[in-house]
Amino acid sequence: MGLWRRREESLDEEIQDYLDRETRENVDAGMSLDEARQAARRKLGPMLRVKEDVRSAWGWSWIEHLWQDLRYGCRSLRQNPGFTTIAVLSIALGVGANCAMFTAADALVLRPLPVPRYNEVLEVGSTTSLRRGVDLASYPDYLSIRDSSRSFRGTAAIAFIPAGFSLRPEALPQLKMAAAVNAGFFDALEVTPTLGRGFSPQEDSVPGRDAVVVLSHDLWAQELAADSSILGRKIHLNGIEFTVIGVAPERFTGVEPFVRTGFYFPIAMYPRISGDARILEARDRRFLRLLGRLNPGARLAQAQAELSSIDANLARVYPETDRDQRLTALTEFQNRVQQDPVDAELVWTLLGLAGAVLCVACANVAGLLTSRAPVRAREMSVRLAIGAGRVRLIRQLLTESALIAVLGGLLGLAVGYAGVLLFRQIQLPTDLVTFAYIGLDRRALLFGLAVASISVFLFGLIPAIRTARSDLAGALKARDAAPAGRSRVWGRSLLVCAQVALALVLLTATMFFYRGVSYSVSHGPGSRIDHLAMMSLAPSQQSYNEAQMQRFYDRLVGQAAQMNGVKAATLASVVPMKNTQNLVAIVPEGFRFPTGEDRAMILCSRVEEHYFDVMGIPIVEGRGFLRTDTPQTPRLAVVNQNLAAHYWPGQDPIGKRFRLDGPSGPWAQVAGVAKNTKYAWIGEKPQDFVFLAERQTPWRPMTLMAESIGDSAGLIAPLREMIRGLDSNMSIFDVRTMEDMYQMRAVRTSNVIVETVASMGLMGLLLALVGLYGLVAYAVNRRTKEFGIRLAIGAKPVSVLSMVLRQGAVLAGCGLIVGIPLSVAAGRLLKAGFTEGDAEFPHLLLLAVALLAVTLAAAYLPARRASRVDPMTALRYE
Amino acid sequence: MPTGDDRIDLLQGTLDMLILRTLLFGPAHGHAIAHAIERGSQEVLQVEHGSLYPALHRLVRQGLLSAKDGISENNRKARYYSLTAKGRKRLTAENAKWDRLTRAIGLIMQPAEE
Repeated sequence: MGLWRRREESLDEEIQDYLDRETRENVDAGMSLDEARQAARRKLGPMLRVKEDVRSAWGWSWIEHLWQDLRYGCRSLRQNPGFTTIAVLSIALGVGANCAMFTAADALVLRPLPVPRYNEVLEVGSTTSLRRGVDLASYPDYLSIRDSSRSFRGTAAIAFIPAGFSLRPEALPQLKMAAAVNAGFFDALEVTPTLGRGFSPQEDSVPGRDAVVVLSHDLWAQELAADSSILGRKIHLNGIEFTVIGVAPERFTGVEPFVRTGFYFPIAMYPRISGDARILEARDRRFLRLLGRLNPGARLAQAQAELSSIDANLARVYPETDRDQRLTALTEFQNRVQQDPVDAELVWTLLGLAGAVLCVACANVAGLLTSRAPVRAREMSVRLAIGAGRVRLIRQLLTESALIAVLGGLLGLAVGYAGVLLFRQIQLPTDLVTFAYIGLDRRALLFGLAVASISVFLFGLIPAIRTARSDLAGALKARDAAPAGRSRVWGRSLLVCAQVALALVLLTATMFFYRGVSYSVSHGPGSRIDHLAMMSLAPSQQSYNEAQMQRFYDRLVGQAAQMNGVKAATLASVVPMKNTQNLVAIVPEGFRFPTGEDRAMILCSRVEEHYFDVMGIPIVEGRGFLRTDTPQTPRLAVVNQNLAAHYWPGQDPIGKRFRLDGPSGPWAQVAGVAKNTKYAWIGEKPQDFVFLAERQTPWRPMTLMAESIGDSAGLIAPLREMIRGLDSNMSIFDVRTMEDMYQMRAVRTSNVIVETVASMGLMGLLLALVGLYGLVAYAVNRRTKEFGIRLAIGAKPVSVLSMVLRQGAVLAGCGLIVGIPLSVAAGRLLKAGFTEGDAEFPHLLLLAVALLAVTLAAAYLPARRASRVDPMTALRYE
Repeated sequence: MPTGDDRIDLLQGTLDMLILRTLLFGPAHGHAIAHAIERGSQEVLQVEHGSLYPALHRLVRQGLLSAKDGISENNRKARYYSLTAKGRKRLTAENAKWDRLTRAIGLIMQPAEE
C-alpha cells in the first residue's frame, strides 16, 4: 500500500499546488485572501469529485472497490455467524460431492492418457461389429499402417501379456503384467525414460534377438528399491534373460488405467515370451492396440481419410484376411467412452447426481439470501439514496456471495478429500489389475474451483438483483415490499418438501444397508476364513500338457499337506470373495427355459476333492468329490442347496443330470448338495453355484489353499519354497491369507458402501434442514410487523411461536407423507436385491419421527425469533 | 472578456488534444496548462479546471504524457507534464483529423458561393 499512499499524497499536493497558484493570482488581481481562496476553489470545481475522477483515471478503482466490497462483505458475514455457517456448509456439501464424484469419474473414464499433448494421440484400429470402439490390429497390418500413413508423426503399438518375473534364474517367479511395444513407442507418446533410454529401431527388427526391457517406475521403486545402478542388470521374464535398458518416468503410468504394467519389451520378443512363434506373421491375429500421434496441424478427418485408403489397399492385396476390416481413427476419449459404455454411464450418472446436489444446495443458499432481503432492504435503500449505483450494489452482494463460495469451496475440498479417502479403501486383491488412481489431483482441484465459482452465480445472482432492486421509498418507510409472487414461495415450498422426502429415502437406504451389511458380516460367508493361506499358480506358459499338469497339481497338494504346520491342502479355480469369478453354462435335464433362452449361466468353481473339508462347507446330501473321479469316470457335479431347490424343487437332486456349456454339451450328474455359502460378495442373496471336479475338468490357473494349524501368514514362505522345488519356473501371484482378503473384499468394501450411502443420507438431511430453515426464516422476516401487531394486541409469544412452527411442521409433514411410501418402496427394493438383514418397517417410522423432530428444530430457530419480536421496534417501522 | 452565452463547453475528447497542443511548447504544470488553454482561446473555451486533472492522469496512463516532480520557479514542489514521443505522434494525427473535421463542417455550414 506504500505506492498507493504516495500516489494519493502526490494527488493532494498537485491539487493544493493548483489552489495555491490560483489564489496567488487572484490576490495579485486585487482580491482579499479569503475571496481569492474561495474563487480558486470555485474554479477547480468540487474537490472530492475531481479526486475521484482522477482515481478512476488511474484505472485502479475496481481494485479499490473490490477491496471495499471484500471488507464490507467480511464484516457482514461476521455479523451473521449463523447465516454464514449454514450457507458455507451447504456450499461445502455441494462442492465436496462434486469433487468426490469427479475424482471417481476421472479415475473411471475422464482422465486422459498420461502423456504430453494427449489430444494429439488417436486410437487407430479396425472396427468390427463384435467389439465396441476400436478393435486391435495384427502386426502386419500395424506395419502397413506405420509405413503408409503420413498424418502421424509416430505410432505406438502395445500388447499386454502376463509374465513370470524374477531377479535370479533360480528364484520363484512372480506373475506381473508385461507389455510388448514397438521401438517407436516411447517416442510416439513423447515419454522420455527417467533412467537409460527407450528402444532403438534395430531392437524390434529381428524376432527373438534383443532381450532388452524398460521397467515401469512403480516396479522399479517397489521391487528394485529404485536402484539407480539398475541399467545393464539382468532380470528374467518367463525364464528368458532380459537386460534392463531404462526406467519409465513416474508420470507415465501406462496406457491402460486398469492394468499395472511392470515391463515394456520390444515386440520382436513377443513370440518368445508368449511361446507363439507365428503371432507376428499372421494378418488375422489381431492383438495390438495402436495409438498414433498426429502431425502438428493434422486433423482427425485427414487421418481417417488416409486410413480408409490404406484399408482399401489392404483389402485388395490380402482379401482373405483384411476384406471385412475397416480401419478407423477415434480420439482416445471417444474410444474409451465407446468401449466402456457402462462406466461412461455410471460417470454421467454420478456427475449428474453431484450436479443435482449442487443445485439443491445453491437453491437453499439462494433461499437463505432471499430470506435476508427484507432485512437488508433498508440498508440497500439507504445506500441507493445516498447515491450508490445499483450495479455497484449487485456487485457488493455478489462479492459477499463469492466470499461464501470461497469458504464453502475450501471446506468442500476437505469434504471431497474425505470422499476420496473413502473410495480409496476399495482395493482389488490381485497383482495384475489395479484400481485406477483416485486422488485430489490438479484436475480435481481445478474442477472444485470451477464448481465453487459457478455456484456463486447459481445462488448469488438472483437474490442480489432482487435485493438491490428494493423499492426505494417503500423500503425506507419500512413497508413490506409488494407481496412477492405466491408462486415463488410455492416453488420453494415444493423444493423443501422434496428435500425432506429425499432425506427420508436416503436415511432409510442407509439404515437398510447398514443393518444388512452388519448382519452379513456378523454371520460370515459360511465357509472358512481363518487359518487359510492362498496362492495362485499359473503352470508355466503352455509347457505342460493336461496329464503333466494333473501330475503337478497332485504332487503340489500332496506335498503341501505333508508340510509342517499344514493341516490340509486343496485347490480351487475360484476362491470365495475374490473379485474374479467363473461362470459355466448349464442345461438341466427336463427344465423348460423361458422362450429365447436355452441355458443358465451359473457361478462355478473347479475344486479338488479336499475342498469341502478344508473350507468347512458341509455336504448336506450325497457326497463330495473323490480321488477316483477321473476323466475316465462319468462327470460329476456338486450343486448348492439354492440350485437344487431352483431346478428340482421338492425332488431328490442326487442323480439328476444337466448338460455343461450348452444344449449339446457333455452331461454331468449331481453327486451331492453343498450348503449355501457366500461366493462373490458378502452381501449377496443366496445364489446358484455349481462345483465341478478339478480332476475331470482341468483348469488353469488354480489357487492353492492350505489350512494352517497355527498362523496362516507363516505358511506362505515355506509354501513358495516348496513350489519352487517342484517347478522353478512356476509363476505365483495373488499370495494372501483368506483373512486378509475377507477383510479387504467383504468387510472394508461393505463399509465403504455403507459409509457412502450414509454420507449421502446425512448430506440430504443437512440440505433439507437448510432449505426448511431458509424458507421459514424468510416468512418470519416478512411478517415481523404482523407479529409485532399480534404481540402488541395481546397475543402470547407461545402462540406466535407455534404459528411459525406449524408452518415448518406442514412443510416437513408434506415431505414425510411423500417420503414414507417412497422409503417403503426403496426398502423393499433393497431387501429384495440385497440381503436378508433385519431392518424392519417399524424402524422406518422411528426414522420419520426423528426426521420430523430435527426439521422442527430447524424451524424453531426462526420461530423463537418471531415470538421475541419487540412490538415497539416492529411497529416503529411504520 | 466573453461571458455567459459566448463561452463554449468543450467538445468531448478535444480537451486531450488541447492539452497535447499546449505541451508542444515545453513542460508545464496543471495550473499553467489550464490557463494556457483558457488564454489561448481568448477565454472562449470554458475549461472547468477540475476536469483537467483526470484528463492529465489519463494521458499519462496512456503513455502520451510523462509526469515529473520538479521545483517550480518560486522554489516550490510541482508536478510537471511533458509530451512523450507517442504523444507528439498522437498530436499530429489529431491535428490532421481536426483539420479534416473543421473543413467538412465548414463546407456544410458555409458552402462556397459560386
